[in-house]
Amino acid sequence: MRAVWRAARAAVRRRKLQTFLIGLVVLLCSATTVVSLALLDASSAPFDRAFAAKHGAHAVAAFDPARVTETQLTSATAGVTATAGPFGQVVVKPETDSGVIRGTPLTVVGRADPGGPVDQLDVWHGRWPSGPGEIVLAFTPDPDFELGPLASTTEVVTGGVTLKVVGFAESINNSADGWVTPAQVAALHPTGLQMLYRFAGDVSTRDAVNARLAGVTTGLPGEALIAGEPYLTVKEKAAEDLGVYLPLLGTFGVLGLLVAVLIVGNVVSGAVISGFRHIGVLKAVGFTPRQVVAVYLLMVSVPAVAGAVPGAVIGALGGQSLIGEAFRGFGFGDTQVRWWVWLTALLGVPAIVLIAAMLPARRAHRLSAAEAISAGSAQRRGRALRIQRALSGSRLPRPVSLGLGLPFARPGRTALTMAALVLGVVTVTFSAGLGTTLTRVGVIDNQVSGDIGVRGLSPIFGTPTTRTDTQVEELLRGLPGTARVGVFATTELSVVGSSEPLLVNFTRGDVAELGYRAQLLGGHWMSAPDEVVAPSKVLLERGLKVGDRITVDAGGRHTTFRVVGETVRGPSGAPGLIAQWPALTTTVADPHLQPSDYFYQVQLQPGNDLDNYAEAVKAADSGLMAWNNTGTDSFSIIVAGFSATLGVLLALVAALGVLNTVALNVLERRRDLGMLKSIGMTPRQVVAMMVTSMGALGLLGGLLGLPLGILTHRVVIPMVSDAAHTRLPESVIAVWTPAVVVLLILSGVAIAVLGALLPARSAARLTIAQVLHNE
Amino acid sequence: MPLPYGVRSVPPMTRETVVRLDGVRKEYGETVALDGVSLEIRPGEAVAVMGPSGCGKSTLLNMVAGLDRPTAGTIEVHGERIDEMNETRLAMFRRHHLGMIFQFFNLLDDLPALDNVALAAQLTGSKAGPARRRALELLDELGIADRRNIYPAALSGGERQRVAVARALMNRPALLLADEPTGALDSKAGEQVMDLLLDLNQIGQTLLIVTHDERLAHRCASRLIEMSDGRIARESVLEKL
Ligand SMILES: Nc1ncnc2c1ncn2[C@@H]1O[C@H](COP(=O)(O)OP(=O)(O)OP(=O)(O)O)[C@@H](O)[C@H]1O
Ligand SMILES: [Mg+2]
Repeated sequence: MRAVWRAARAAVRRRKLQTFLIGLVVLLCSATTVVSLALLDASSAPFDRAFAAKHGAHAVAAFDPARVTETQLTSATAGVTATAGPFGQVVVKPETDSGVIRGTPLTVVGRADPGGPVDQLDVWHGRWPSGPGEIVLAFTPDPDFELGPLASTTEVVTGGVTLKVVGFAESINNSADGWVTPAQVAALHPTGLQMLYRFAGDVSTRDAVNARLAGVTTGLPGEALIAGEPYLTVKEKAAEDLGVYLPLLGTFGVLGLLVAVLIVGNVVSGAVISGFRHIGVLKAVGFTPRQVVAVYLLMVSVPAVAGAVPGAVIGALGGQSLIGEAFRGFGFGDTQVRWWVWLTALLGVPAIVLIAAMLPARRAHRLSAAEAISAGSAQRRGRALRIQRALSGSRLPRPVSLGLGLPFARPGRTALTMAALVLGVVTVTFSAGLGTTLTRVGVIDNQVSGDIGVRGLSPIFGTPTTRTDTQVEELLRGLPGTARVGVFATTELSVVGSSEPLLVNFTRGDVAELGYRAQLLGGHWMSAPDEVVAPSKVLLERGLKVGDRITVDAGGRHTTFRVVGETVRGPSGAPGLIAQWPALTTTVADPHLQPSDYFYQVQLQPGNDLDNYAEAVKAADSGLMAWNNTGTDSFSIIVAGFSATLGVLLALVAALGVLNTVALNVLERRRDLGMLKSIGMTPRQVVAMMVTSMGALGLLGGLLGLPLGILTHRVVIPMVSDAAHTRLPESVIAVWTPAVVVLLILSGVAIAVLGALLPARSAARLTIAQVLHNE
Repeated sequence: MPLPYGVRSVPPMTRETVVRLDGVRKEYGETVALDGVSLEIRPGEAVAVMGPSGCGKSTLLNMVAGLDRPTAGTIEVHGERIDEMNETRLAMFRRHHLGMIFQFFNLLDDLPALDNVALAAQLTGSKAGPARRRALELLDELGIADRRNIYPAALSGGERQRVAVARALMNRPALLLADEPTGALDSKAGEQVMDLLLDLNQIGQTLLIVTHDERLAHRCASRLIEMSDGRIARESVLEKL
């Protein structure tokens, strides 16, 4: 054993570069593996995980305190595994309008503490109320807390009571809008008692949950239960929001894993194969086959372990921030990289290292000493030789043709390197396509929202404008810098034959030119008052298509519209139909529109400052609100972030794989290189030869990876838009211009050249005298 | 009528020496491999270097070939100061003016004999066709034209060394350097290589041969340099056997 250890140590020392490379590759691959697995893990049932972690309630029930006592509630536990409550519950109407409190009713619950057996709350800012006069508001964590409206939300005034906002918390169940102490809620005269239940048995459907809830309430007085909300409502909402991320996370996760496995396999098996000669020597001096294998396993294990641990840590930190970023705002609290991800990466990557070492080492095990020594040089196969022959007769410069022949000498190594290059290009292509798609979606979004939004002030904020909507439009058109003005009046109407009301945007002015017409997916823009254009989401949700009719009911008056076009999104806010202005008065007899019901969208001539313009609008009429409406979409930023991170990471790992391959080729061909230099190959020719050998693989990798990347994009993007219940126009998916295609193919070459350059230069610097005489 | 092997027929009159070493010193860390060696070789000479193992013979040859750089001293080959050249110019210089043969042949295993020889010309930018034609002529003159499509692994040691000689001659070098050219050959194959070198010298090829083999030295060389401990211990003019 001592001999094995000593031989392994000597081998590690003698191959510093290789040992370092194995360590580095294992490090990067462990990091990639952790990130990839964390992405895959996060994308599988994130809601269920968070729900379990927070002991979410299967049902949130409200009872009538006039009909049931607290004791009755606490003792009704049929089929229940855990309960919390009863908590006093009251709906308050705030009179303040500071920050996010805008006169909308709030459900306030009295809870002594945020923990407990059910629906544990995450107090992500500030603290829990410690006495009367304090409230914690329910909001999802806001990374830009200080900048957002939450920071300026300091108090809630209702019915003469002032509640100081002492913190912000979130509930996975959305069980309340705010929490106060039990004493405080008693002072507010609660109208309900909240019970939070976790049930045993099947809770997978609404019916099942309702049945469980009925089981609990059977012994209680009739009509005591005011409302029971199954958790499936929040779950479905979360699934819709998250569904947008899952295909993307999954794609990157799978790509990352594949690349990591391939590269580790390639680097480690390469190290062992290039050591065959050394294995022969070990055998010749009397090492048993078993000892030889042990030497080699030990040799690769040292850097493998040294790389795996920091790699997993780096990956966990990176994965944490990526996933935390992606899932912040979904109400899941902290999304941790879970222990099995760590464990799998920590054990899995070194296991792949061992397997990759074991396969060739077992071959070495079988070889005789002499065979092993000669197997150390690359095998000469008939086909490879014929290719060399053809290349030496070609018109190519000799260093180039020699370089092109190199990959054929080691077909296995070449195949693994190539596969990593292909996956690298797939990732880069997919990332690039995703980036362009996001940019184009962003352009559409900006057309929809930009540049300036203007609305009449609502009475609770000040004195509304006295101008009519026509006068406001005139005012805006008259301001310097205005290019286009669109006017929207949005009303909610009932739909005949449906319980779901529908928003209709009546439009005039330059709405079509603002960009709405350009984002039509199909059909045409309205040309008559009975024609409407509908966003995909509305069509999908209502099972409609272009050409269908839809009849709305406005106070008994029926109007039938024909859907003539499908658009991506329509104006910002909840999706609704787009109709012509004249239809407003024919549809709604007496619209009763307030100044704040009109929305004006202004696009400026290029070069005008948006914020200055917004100020100018407010200065011109203090009864108008005006704001810069070009927001950044957090989804795009997050996705672009991890797409770029993984694109770069995987390209880097692939380049490292190439670097390793070239380093091994140089090591094995030192003698040949020395000879070539001795007969007059210049350093530049040496670099050209080694770089060509990989550049060719890179080109091929680009040619194979590009279509695969395009295909991935083609498949994954519609999965994303399906999850978001929208459709994307072809212009957003067909992002591949010839220039981009060429660049992406060249990205394969770039990765290969990047990886090859360093060892190629070291090959060019080899001292000839040494290799020729010492080897 | 052209000389066989394409040897340069007339040595340039302006250069009365092909090699001039002046006070060349080479240290490898503590080891002094060459300790102030001065030497001149004139066109058409065949110089043999002998001496005990480790005395600096290969180092001397490497200096002349520009494969390694002296720690001190100057080296002039074919009228050019090669110790002052950068790597690229050195490569060009070797390509055009030097031929080298080694104890262990150093052929590319994945090319047949012909392409191994042609390689030397192809590196200078020659087209494959002319390079292969000239390689075939040389293999023919060296008596192994029929082995042109055989890969090195299937050639005998003597044949391999003849392929290596052909490769060294491809670009009509002013100087042919050989480090133990018969060291890995049996006596018969060694004889053949010796004959070949002798032939080459007789038609004017300048030779610098490092060898342990006294017979090789006496058979091929016109001058013998004996080294010990990195110095030239003795120089003698040899009578051809
Ligand atoms: N690259 C090198 N690094 C360190 N020392 C070297 C190197 N090359 C040669 N030496 C040392 O320089 C001295 C001369 O070596 P050289 O190879 O020139 O001897 P030699 O006369 O050719 O011997 P041999 O007859 O065994 O081939 C020796 O001591 C050798 O160990
Ligand atoms: Mg020697």
